[in-house]
Amino acid sequence: MRAERLAKTTAAVQRQRAGEALSRVAMRLHLPTLVALAIIVVVWITLSRRFGDYVLPPPGRVLDGLRDLVVTGEVWEHVAASLYRISLGFGAAVVVSLLLGFLVARSPLLSVAVKDITTVLNSTSVFVWIVLALIWFGLTDRGPMFTTFMITIPIMLSNVIEGIENVDRRLLEVAKVYRFNELARFAHITIPSIVPYIVAGMKVGFALGLRVSVVAEIFGVTTGIGYMMNFNRDILRTDLVFAWAIVLIIVMLVMDKLVFESVSRWVQRWR
Amino acid sequence: MAEDKGGPFKLEVRGLSKRYQIPVIEALNLGIRPGEFVCLLGPNGCGKTTFLRILAGLEQPDTGEILIDGESVDLTVSSHHRIGVVFQEPRLLPWRTAMSNIVLCLAALGIHGKEARERAQHYLSLVGLRGFENYYPNRLSGGMQQRVSIARALAVEPDVLLMDEPFSALDPESRQILQDEVVKVWRTTGKTIIFVTHSLEEATYIGTRIVLFSARPARIRGSWELDGSSDRVALREELGQLLAQEVRQQQALMAQTQV
Repeated sequence: MRAERLAKTTAAVQRQRAGEALSRVAMRLHLPTLVALAIIVVVWITLSRRFGDYVLPPPGRVLDGLRDLVVTGEVWEHVAASLYRISLGFGAAVVVSLLLGFLVARSPLLSVAVKDITTVLNSTSVFVWIVLALIWFGLTDRGPMFTTFMITIPIMLSNVIEGIENVDRRLLEVAKVYRFNELARFAHITIPSIVPYIVAGMKVGFALGLRVSVVAEIFGVTTGIGYMMNFNRDILRTDLVFAWAIVLIIVMLVMDKLVFESVSRWVQRWR
Repeated sequence: MAEDKGGPFKLEVRGLSKRYQIPVIEALNLGIRPGEFVCLLGPNGCGKTTFLRILAGLEQPDTGEILIDGESVDLTVSSHHRIGVVFQEPRLLPWRTAMSNIVLCLAALGIHGKEARERAQHYLSLVGLRGFENYYPNRLSGGMQQRVSIARALAVEPDVLLMDEPFSALDPESRQILQDEVVKVWRTTGKTIIFVTHSLEEATYIGTRIVLFSARPARIRGSWELDGSSDRVALREELGQLLAQEVRQQQALMAQTQV
């Protein structure tokens, strides 16, 4: 009787353990996400039958469109154009924020001004910069670059300043004892100390830059992912609008997971 | 008990005072001859570290004068007097290897390239770190990191080497080994060393002279020369009693401040 009960509980424990192992595997394979995706696809197909290709093209047609973009090579041209604009706009934001960071590190008064300006820039709508870019730069590459710059600079600046404020004072004392000049102190102590803040800022900043510059591309230019989405909307190819949206998501994921993760691992290889 | 013998002093401090709301150091006079290994002993919180930070040029004294080789200097700005400092923590730049940590400090003095690497190599070997030149600090033990910090301080070939309880964070075995190592380095280089400690054993073990600081505000309670013939046991006993007095007084002071 007792042995029987013991055997029962052992079996229950084993079942429970097996259940836990299974759910761990499921988590690792992101099974819940896949299930959610499957449900979305089913709903998508059902809705597309009901509303038709123009409003909601079926997943199959979107994938066909995506394949065509890759096969014809069209995708690379426009991804490159978008990345070029973001890189220049965002790159300028990184450089300017580091230069300002150098000045802020020297003067607490300047730091107050820069922080306030950052707050103002942070609360300025993207659309303000897009419209101004159209007025100032007309139909050129510089419009999306300018918009990206204006939107990413407050993010980079606030990260750089926060990093500078958190530099280990004890290391700065070492710099003083061993007579580093200001430039050496900034280059060898401040910059390496704020690398984690810069990388975090770059991840957020680049993601935002990608979203914003694609919107800016709707106006004024004839290449880029944003332009292609708007163009396809014009010619009633909603399937290609969806395909470009998927391209945009993939570019974002690749940049984040491959480029930024490896860059951040490389610059912090001493850890 | 020995008085400061007349100069020539390597480092001399005259009438030094410093206050942070309350007086921390008051009218302190001290002269240190070339090649002395001076241990500053005193209760915790008595102003030893503040004194050392002033000598390192990290704090400005309120009054008083500091002379190096008989010449009055402002250490917070002076660029041609070199002070080597070993802090309580190694304070190495974690993103640079042992070697390049030292090379960076030499670059600040205008020493570059091969000459800088050779000099860094020389001092790393002196502290027993041959073969660890290209290690990042995180890969070294606490004791080894502190050795790099000592090599860095020696590499700038300082007029005076300051050490602020450099071994207090180490385990007893490493501490013992590093104490011997520092004595060895002192013998080889003949550097003038000021070594702050609150351990009586450490002070009597490594120093050639012990300077006892009073409870806050720091004044000099006494100074004892040590050589091969000194009776360390008797000295420890005498110093132990004096130190205990100062510690009690310091604790009373701290209790007061808290109220």
